[in-house]
Amino acid sequence: MSIITTEQPGQPVVPHTRENFFVRLVRRESSLAWLFLAPALIILVVFMAYPFGYGIYISTTDAMVGFAGKNFVWLENYQRLLDDPIFRKTVRNTFIYGFGTVPFKLVLGLALALVLNQTFRFSRVFRAFLLLPWIVPTAISSLAFLMLYNGVLSPVSWVLVDWGIISDNINFLGDPVNAIVSLCVANIWRGVPFFGISILAGLQAVPDELNEAAALDGASVWQRFWAVTWPVIRNITLIATLFSIIWTFADFQLIYVLTKGGPANSTHVFGTYSYQTLGQTFIGDAAAISLYMFPILAVLAVMLLRYVRHDD
Amino acid sequence: MTKDRSAQLIAEANAMKYSRRTVMKRASALGLSAPALAGVLGATGHVSAAPNRAPAFLQGGSLNMLMSTAFVPAAQDLFQEQATAWGEENSVDVTVDFINWPDLQPRTTSAVQAGAGPDIVELWDTIPYLFSESLVDLTDLAATTEEVQGGYYDWVTNTASVDGQWKSIPHGNSASVVAYRASYFEEAGIQDAANNFPETWEELFAVGKILKEEVGKPLGQALGQSLGDPPGFAYPYMWAFGSMEVEEDGETLAFDTDSFREGLEMFIQGWTDAFDETGLGWDDSTNNSAYLSDQISATQNGTSIYIAATDEDGENYQPEIAEDTFHAPLPAGPSGRFATLGSRSIGVMSYSENQEEALAFLEWWFSAEPFQTWLETYQGYILPPGPTFTDLGVFTEDPKLAPYIEVPSIARNKGWAGPANLKAAQVSSQYVIVNTFANAVQSGDAGAAIDEAAAHLQRIYGR
Repeated sequence: MSIITTEQPGQPVVPHTRENFFVRLVRRESSLAWLFLAPALIILVVFMAYPFGYGIYISTTDAMVGFAGKNFVWLENYQRLLDDPIFRKTVRNTFIYGFGTVPFKLVLGLALALVLNQTFRFSRVFRAFLLLPWIVPTAISSLAFLMLYNGVLSPVSWVLVDWGIISDNINFLGDPVNAIVSLCVANIWRGVPFFGISILAGLQAVPDELNEAAALDGASVWQRFWAVTWPVIRNITLIATLFSIIWTFADFQLIYVLTKGGPANSTHVFGTYSYQTLGQTFIGDAAAISLYMFPILAVLAVMLLRYVRHDD
Repeated sequence: MTKDRSAQLIAEANAMKYSRRTVMKRASALGLSAPALAGVLGATGHVSAAPNRAPAFLQGGSLNMLMSTAFVPAAQDLFQEQATAWGEENSVDVTVDFINWPDLQPRTTSAVQAGAGPDIVELWDTIPYLFSESLVDLTDLAATTEEVQGGYYDWVTNTASVDGQWKSIPHGNSASVVAYRASYFEEAGIQDAANNFPETWEELFAVGKILKEEVGKPLGQALGQSLGDPPGFAYPYMWAFGSMEVEEDGETLAFDTDSFREGLEMFIQGWTDAFDETGLGWDDSTNNSAYLSDQISATQNGTSIYIAATDEDGENYQPEIAEDTFHAPLPAGPSGRFATLGSRSIGVMSYSENQEEALAFLEWWFSAEPFQTWLETYQGYILPPGPTFTDLGVFTEDPKLAPYIEVPSIARNKGWAGPANLKAAQVSSQYVIVNTFANAVQSGDAGAAIDEAAAHLQRIYGR
């Protein structure tokens, strides 16, 4: 840094610095904050905001993939979807799939976490195994379920037939109700570890002394859980629940591999129906289907953020 | 004109048993082009003279292909080998991705939207219409390959060409008939079942009831959202009961008819009585598994079940099942007997920066020798798009496969009685016809299923 002194008539000699632009930028707190934010902002704008904005724009056109020219149709695509029976099934399925699976994942995850929080032989190994369904790529675990749910060669059906419990193969994916239930079961299997490991992390923070003191005071197991453990793990459980609902709402892989939205479009969720519509080149309609999901996810995301901030 | 001279030489060579050298001399005298000569050589049982080496400017390039998986695995392996060998010969880095049939179209759509992806794609029958503005015009190349094939059949031209232009080169398709176990049908009371398959759908459902209830081997039919077997059944059944998407003008809906309502009600009952009801969740491969694992007595399919059962080196080798398996055309309804058939094809994407390589590869692969080798490896599963190769042993030696050769005579294009155009392609890609049947058996209400499909058709044809 070079220091220059200049002499002005009638003025004291004041040394001042000729700092380069970057140094001045770094020294100002407000500009430094923007500097740190810039990489993330650029990524957000390029990979999130622009595609999102483009998606909104395209959903208001009659664009078709591969065909030049498109017309602005305002909200016609959204309006048409309201009269589309497949879309109505899609909305219903997404809510069943998104909300119906969470209580099971929560209860099973909590139970699993409580068991694994105990110290027993190979407990660390079991904790590692707990994560397996979560870390195995969904496409691969879905293929395993596809074999289990095979209408003709399902080992589940064959074992039950062999034991004389049922007489015909179970129609896992061919019956609309069975298909939704089968999808939910696979989703629960995959989602339980997330709850389990999140709650387990919360349980590790529960001081042993509190539990011991409560036990000495004569509290039952249930009372200790409710008065000592639950207040500590409540926050992490609620956050895990909200995340799980958001992810399940936006799920695609598992359903696409298992049913592709069939039979007869009866198991579509927003993601798969949008993808199927895009495959038919109707990108405007496909964008509209996806964007119907946005208000629901936005509400959930706001709830999540408010809760996290409130917690802070 | 060239076609006439090629046909003349083929007839001459076959009658006089010309050697390969003589065929080439006569072709030169008749002024036949190299591709035409390749076609003649292929048709007369000689090795093609098609050049394997591409021009020098291709060398160092690359080529990525998106193809469908093959139900005859050896044919898929062979295509991979052919592509690799051509790439090595021409110093072109060739990769081939084989994906499940229903995934082809979404993947192609994504590539078109992104303007990047495979250079070459395989397309199902009417699908070239959906991507007509994103495919390179191959009309010139098609003229050459048509000569190799001895002209294209109507069922090929009607489905794979786009308003008279060729946006992709057709390579034929598998035909569908019913594969059935004669011994089970005899147990169900059909005499001489090998030569006596039920003539009408009504008769088939009646026998199927006995097969399901007494023999314990129901009929099998895939009704999932897939490109092969579900439409292979649904379209012909719809036509057999006097219904169609649109009339000949391609605009007037002709779907909701009394006879189809009756036919669909009969199907709902037949489904419960005679079919394996898990078929609603089946795709193109599940019925093959069900048949080869002795779970069902009959299913509508290409030759792949029979080929798998007779393949001594394959993991599904089942000589007893193969011996007991016979084939028959789909049964008839009040309006006649039908099948659906359209040619699959291979196109070059217009966004591709490797179009020269792609065209060179297709020109080579569709020449007589490599195409014939591929066709023979398919063992009769793929019907060729023209007459040149129909005399190959794979189509004539096993009388059990004869019904497949007869399919084109009763086949119609998707969209019939209208043309196989963009609308028909959209109906097909949204599985509207297939889902009419699936909806009907799910709800038990034929009228509601037809009403929902008719509204869907109106949205597409009226758009």
